Amino acid sequence: MDFSASIREAFLLLFTGDVELWRIIWVSLKTSIVSLAIATPLAMVGGYLMASYQFPGRKILIWLAQVSLSFPTVLIGLLLYLLMTRQGPLGAFHLLFSQSGIIAGQVLIGLPVLVAFTLASVQAADPRLAETAVTLGASRFRLMMTVLHEVRFGVMAAVINGFGRILSEVGCAMMVGGNIAGETRTITTAIALETSKGEFAQGIALGILLIVVALFINAALMMLQGEASTSGVAS
Amino acid sequence: MTPLLAINGLKKRFGEHTLLDIGEFTINPASAYVLAGPNGAGKTTLLRILSGLEPAEIANAAFLGQSVSFSPYSRILRNEIVYVHQHPIMFSTTVAENIAYGLHARGISKAELDASVEESMEWAGVTHLRDRGTNTLSGGEKQRIAIARARILKPRLLLLDEPTSNLDGNAKEQVIELIPTLVREGRSVLIASHDADLIELPDLEKMALDKGRIECC
Repeated sequence: MDFSASIREAFLLLFTGDVELWRIIWVSLKTSIVSLAIATPLAMVGGYLMASYQFPGRKILIWLAQVSLSFPTVLIGLLLYLLMTRQGPLGAFHLLFSQSGIIAGQVLIGLPVLVAFTLASVQAADPRLAETAVTLGASRFRLMMTVLHEVRFGVMAAVINGFGRILSEVGCAMMVGGNIAGETRTITTAIALETSKGEFAQGIALGILLIVVALFINAALMMLQGEASTSGVAS
Repeated sequence: MTPLLAINGLKKRFGEHTLLDIGEFTINPASAYVLAGPNGAGKTTLLRILSGLEPAEIANAAFLGQSVSFSPYSRILRNEIVYVHQHPIMFSTTVAENIAYGLHARGISKAELDASVEESMEWAGVTHLRDRGTNTLSGGEKQRIAIARARILKPRLLLLDEPTSNLDGNAKEQVIELIPTLVREGRSVLIASHDADLIELPDLEKMALDKGRIECC
C-alpha cells in the first residue's frame, strides 16, 4: 500500500467510528490520565521538599530523578515485568498484563520528569517568597502550597511534559501490558503492532489520533495554566 | 516597664568574620526605632535574625519577660513579630488577597477577615487597588501593602527593612506617614534605614550600627 492510500484509509477509519480504534484510545487516555493524577501530587511534594529542605539522601534523590530522565522506558518495563511476574515480589497482586500494571509503569516513567521540573521551578523561585509566607505565619503546608502556586507555570510545564512522556511511551506498556486487544492495547503499542503487520493505515490513523489527543490535552492544561494565573493564593 | 524585646549577647559570624556583636539590645513597647548605619553594617541581618530568618548565637532573649527562641516557627515570632523586606514580594493575586494572606492561618471567621482586610486597605490608603493584580503596582504601593499585610496580624513588633529605599516624593511620604500610626496603635517598629528623611523623624529613637555593635540607644 502506498503512502497516500494509507493516509486515505487512516482518515476513513477515524471517521467511520471503528470500535476497536476507539477502545484503544479509551485505554490510552484512561491509563495516562490516571498515571498523571497519581504521579503529579507525589512529584509536586517530592520536588518541593527536595528543593526546599536539607535532609539525608537529598542529593541522591535529585541525582536519581535526573538520571532516570534518560532511562529507556523499555528498561523500566523490564524491571516491572520481573517484579510483577508470578514469581516476582509483586506477583501476588496480578498486575502483569493489566491496566493497573501499565499505570504503575507510567507513574514511574512520569515521576522523574515531573519531579525534575518542579524541583527546578521551586529552586528558581525568589527566596523572599518563602520568607514572606513564613513571617506572615504560614504553616509548613501552606508555605508549600503558596510556593507551588507562585511557580505554577513551571509546575504546569512539568505536568505537560510528564503527560507527553507518559502518553507517548511504548516500551513499558508493551512489556507490562502485553498489548492485549480491548484490555491493555494503547495507541503506541497498537501502532507498533499494526506497523509490524504491515497495516500502515491503522498505524497512521492511530498516529494522527495520538497527535490530536496530545494537542487537546496540552491545550486543556495550558488553559488551566491561564486560569491559575488569576486564581487566589489566599482564597 | 518590661521591655518588649530584650536581647543579651547576640553574635553573628560568617566564617572567621564577626558581622554582629551586640552586648545588650532593648525594644520597648509602643516605640519606634531607626537603626542607621552604612551599607553592609548588618542592619538587614539583625532584622532577619529577629524575625527568625537568619540563625545567630544569642545568649539571652526575652519577649515581654518570656524567654524566646528565634526560629521561624517559634510561637512568639509567628504571633508577635513580622518582618517586611526592603523590596517586598507580592503574591501573584489581588491586593486584597495579599493583605488577607496571614489571617488565613489564624482561623478567624470570613466576616471578621473581610472587615479586617477592609480596615487595613483603608489604613494604608490602598482601598482603590483592592482587586488590582500585584504586577502593576508601584514601589510605594507595594511597600504600603506589605506593611498593611504585616499590620493586619496585629504584631507587637514590626521590622521594616529600608521601607523608603528607591522611593521619592509622595510615595516616600505616604510610607513615612504610616509609622507614627503604628506606634499610636501600641505597636513597636524597628526600621533599618540610611535614608536621612526617615532618620531625622522626631519621634524615632535613633540607633547606629557600626562595626557590628549598636553605638547608641
